[in-house]
Amino acid sequence: MKNLSRREFLRRTSLSALVLAFASSGIPVLFSEETKIAATTKGKKYVYTSCEICVNKCGLKAHVENGRIVRLEPNPHFPKSRGMVCARGNAGARVPYSADRLKFPLVRVGERGENKWRKANWDEALKIVGENLNKVVETQKNRSAVMFASTEGFQEEFFKTFAEAFGSYNVVRHPTLCLASNIQGFSAVLGTYPDADIKNANYVIFCGSNRLEALITPDSIDLLKTGNKKIVTLDPRFTKTAAKSGEWLPIKVGTDLAFALAMINVLINEELYDKKFVEEKTFGFEELKNHVKNYTPEWAEKETEIPAETIRRIATEFAENAPKSVYYPGRRSSFSKNDAELRRAIAMVNALVGNFNAKGGLVQSLSIPLKKVEFEPVWYDDNAEERLEAGTVQFLTESSGAWLPFRDAVLKGEPYPVKAMVTYKTNPVASVPNRKKTLEMMKKMDFIAVIDTEMSDTAYFADVILPESTYLERWDPAHVLSGIEPVVTFRQPVIEPLYDTKSCLEIMQGLVKTCGLETNPFDYTIQNYIKTQVENYEGAYEKLLETAVFIPENLPNPYGERPIKTQTQKIEFYSEKYLSKGLNPMPTYEKPGEIPDGKFKFVVGRHAFFTHSSTNLDYLNTIMNQNTLWINTKAAERLGIKNNDLVLVKSAVGEGKLNAFVTEGIRPDTVFFIHGFGSVSKGLSKTYGVGASESEILEDHYEPISGNALLHETIVQVEKVRG
Amino acid sequence: METKKKYVMVIDTQKCFDCKACTIACKMENNVADNSQEYRNWVETGEICGTFPNLTQKFIPGQCNHCTNAPCEKVCPTSATYRNEDGLIMIDAEKCIVCKYCMVACPYDARFVSTTRHVVDKCDFCYDRIKIGELPACVQTCPPKTRTFGDLNDPNSEVSKLLKNREYKVLKPETGAEPNVFYL
Repeated sequence: MKNLSRREFLRRTSLSALVLAFASSGIPVLFSEETKIAATTKGKKYVYTSCEICVNKCGLKAHVENGRIVRLEPNPHFPKSRGMVCARGNAGARVPYSADRLKFPLVRVGERGENKWRKANWDEALKIVGENLNKVVETQKNRSAVMFASTEGFQEEFFKTFAEAFGSYNVVRHPTLCLASNIQGFSAVLGTYPDADIKNANYVIFCGSNRLEALITPDSIDLLKTGNKKIVTLDPRFTKTAAKSGEWLPIKVGTDLAFALAMINVLINEELYDKKFVEEKTFGFEELKNHVKNYTPEWAEKETEIPAETIRRIATEFAENAPKSVYYPGRRSSFSKNDAELRRAIAMVNALVGNFNAKGGLVQSLSIPLKKVEFEPVWYDDNAEERLEAGTVQFLTESSGAWLPFRDAVLKGEPYPVKAMVTYKTNPVASVPNRKKTLEMMKKMDFIAVIDTEMSDTAYFADVILPESTYLERWDPAHVLSGIEPVVTFRQPVIEPLYDTKSCLEIMQGLVKTCGLETNPFDYTIQNYIKTQVENYEGAYEKLLETAVFIPENLPNPYGERPIKTQTQKIEFYSEKYLSKGLNPMPTYEKPGEIPDGKFKFVVGRHAFFTHSSTNLDYLNTIMNQNTLWINTKAAERLGIKNNDLVLVKSAVGEGKLNAFVTEGIRPDTVFFIHGFGSVSKGLSKTYGVGASESEILEDHYEPISGNALLHETIVQVEKVRG
Repeated sequence: METKKKYVMVIDTQKCFDCKACTIACKMENNVADNSQEYRNWVETGEICGTFPNLTQKFIPGQCNHCTNAPCEKVCPTSATYRNEDGLIMIDAEKCIVCKYCMVACPYDARFVSTTRHVVDKCDFCYDRIKIGELPACVQTCPPKTRTFGDLNDPNSEVSKLLKNREYKVLKPETGAEPNVFYL
């Protein structure tokens, strides 16, 4: 933003041109003065609710004037977000007013992807969806021939419940594009996926977790806000986290496991580990000691290109700061074929220094139990035996599935055909690696219905689009954000819906009728549902209305002695469970494939002002209105590429064009660009055809233990198109 | 002019990680247009300096410095730019003729032609908020609390304590503008 000084700009541009260019960029006045809230709330008011721009759900205090949102301020009652709202959360104030919003139900009239639609009313749209889903069930004699895809969110539980009531096993959720291998690896060792107590930690190792750009509350906030921590970042790219770290180690992509194993080697051989903790709380130490014998720092240096002495020193520093030292469990960096193994090894490094459930270490999350609202499921004879992709990976999560093997199975039509697709708050065309395959998968569908707030790349190819009210226009159920400091939050409308949109619950209530289901899981209003969820806590509902936060008194202390939920009830350095599945009982290194000469590994990542498709949102898009290819200075020179040249990035599955960002801040064998650009939907006015798409060029490899998509196994070539 | 209050901003650049929350919060609070030339505050993303793998990068938040000896105030031909009773440099929208002298005079490039207010606009430390005891929007929203705002005439304020106990500098001291934004 601040690259060209304004005085410089003044010299180059006449004022009249400036005014012409920007006069039309004001926010259109769309809000109807007649809506209920506006009528009753002339003047200023504040409404407490929570954000939905990313996974964190930070607390908001919405400032509303005459029925229009002025600003989303931080909710001071909300401890997890530490009294802040990030750039995305702030820009969220414009989400309801976005010109690209879906404003009423749409029914396709042209070919799929032709962008020809007609307006429909809700009764008709829901009827069309119900009839088509039933038709697929009738012709396939299989309720699981309808797939349901969704991503986490407060209303997702209604969508999943509908899928269950409908009788399909095939709910495909986001974890295998996200944390599945991470959770699998950590749980195998610690019996849980723990939180890092960043607030109290003195020493933090990030294995590519870019916490100052991929914001996670409260970790990202505590990192620089509290204390003077030493931060070590291993990442092929010089991220902003790297910029704020004491030490940046540009590790070779896919070799993090070698670094972690060498740390284990040093901790054990130099007797830096916590002997009492290991003796009392762990299983399989002698086996591990023997197993890592050859994983020396000198060996790891050859794999990672990090000097052996550095690895040895970091292991020593890590042990010296224990238990207030954390090898962070977060995501990214690797996503290479050994990812679950890497996460196991990282868990072991932590366990060896005895930081489990210690202040400043890794801590088992606390939760706040809410009451579940049950319903009577129906048994359907016309159904498959099990999920479509059952048996394709070792530890498949039944409730979430695994995107890549699932999609392969749809493409093959085996073990049975899947012929209809309903999506909620998810955008597989832009988020699942190898976009061409996703589009092929959608061609196999007799019917596609999409629930979203904007014309996403997936909605673009739908038959019926059901527009959802945005998070600032609707009630959402109570939701527990577990952690070291757990909290219950919810959403209440800040403004009335601006358009003819509905919440997911209302849409599901409609579909129960039009699908003619014999059971109705949604026989309640949203307010009654929330009251039931929190009925075991006196005054909780009122507290939510008042502050959007509820925290019960007398929460247990997160630190200290707590049961370990593994098979042996100990931290498992050696896993009988893995062995019984034919897997390595201890994390074992496999060399990543070599990068062919002149080519690059492609890595994914984040900027702090975007989450996925928020690249299309006003204000955020202004910070960065296109993606650029990060390429190392020397590599660029070799290819004759200069800064800002248009380049072509090409993988085995796809390609994209974007401008080059020539920088010292990335390894010479690695390239990067941010996702959320290169959209195919003409309904995304700011990102359609701008820059390159990540899902287009990512190859679709997956990790065989958890089914996680491997986002760092794509090899690309880069060519200059023009200067 | 001696004033009862002496509002200052103290910025700890060590904490800033360039998330741009301050810029967007400010735009919302003060109805600043959504384009890349209009902003009352910003974070300057420094170049990545050095040679791989020995690199550094700095992030420097900036805004109007509410200078004690403000060059913009001096050059304003219509007195649209004035110092208010709390010592802040303010703009009288009625008087501003958008001559842009102040834009050229400002050492910090803090002023811009506002297409929403039709004046040469800049940061006013969210004066409407501080009058009722709220913090400026950028301070309130900042994730690591890079910015601290307060009254330097109050020895017990957070800003007084920070400037007493920590080393600090101001930007472009050589201009003699006597800025009131301090960098730790």
